[in-house]
Amino acid sequence: MTAQDRLDSTFAALADPTRRAIVERLARGDATVNELAAPFAMTLPGISKHLKVLERCGLISRSRNAQFRPCHLERAALDSAVGWIEENRRIWTERFDKLDQHLRDLQVRRSNGSDDRD
Amino acid sequence: MTDPTDELVYTRVFDAPRELVFRCLIEPEHLTHFWGPAGVSAPLETIKVDARPGGVFETVMVNDADGSQYPTRAVFIEVTEPERLVWTEPDSGVTTTSTLRDLGESRTEVRIHQVNVPDAFRSPEAQAGFLTSLDRFAAYLAKLG
Repeated sequence: MTAQDRLDSTFAALADPTRRAIVERLARGDATVNELAAPFAMTLPGISKHLKVLERCGLISRSRNAQFRPCHLERAALDSAVGWIEENRRIWTERFDKLDQHLRDLQVRRSNGSDDRD
Repeated sequence: MTDPTDELVYTRVFDAPRELVFRCLIEPEHLTHFWGPAGVSAPLETIKVDARPGGVFETVMVNDADGSQYPTRAVFIEVTEPERLVWTEPDSGVTTTSTLRDLGESRTEVRIHQVNVPDAFRSPEAQAGFLTSLDRFAAYLAKLG
């Protein structure tokens, strides 16, 4: 899976409100499937389906050997999704800063009567 | 006007006439001055702009510190001089609309509006407020440390 694919699948996974609620719960600490199912009017298989989606994109991991296989939030994966949005905002802010300066330079040159082709 | 929360919007007012700002957004000679964010260049020879529907908009951003390269590839959907530019990035599905508003007295507002960030945002659940939730996540997780 490429980084872009992983990010796409992370966003897709988080587009669902139940899965967001699961992630919020796991942000407070590891939990078993039973504990995660408790606040929802949902069957265990229903919750398991959501967990598989979250697991596939790397947002959560499940212990292989513990009896109740508690779910664990992978903070790095979540941070990369949050980071994508912040990075995008930063790029446009800095681009606008540079464009602002460039427009000033152009207009100073123009008012000085020099070539404005550039 | 409120924007749906599955979209990203950045707005800035520039002290320059709209025609000039528009040219800056489509001419490589101008783009090279500002397309890369801080610490990143967009060399003139890497910028390809064919400003008409279906035309390419390609750049290579180069990190000044280590020389690493980030190519960007988009295709124009709409080019309406001097007020509107729409391009889409086939790799990510992100569609960016730039709207230029003439505020008079040689001032221009540029509004960058991005949708499908990424494709998954098209889902009805996403319309219900994905970004807002993600913002809340960020704040919430920061509190948890």
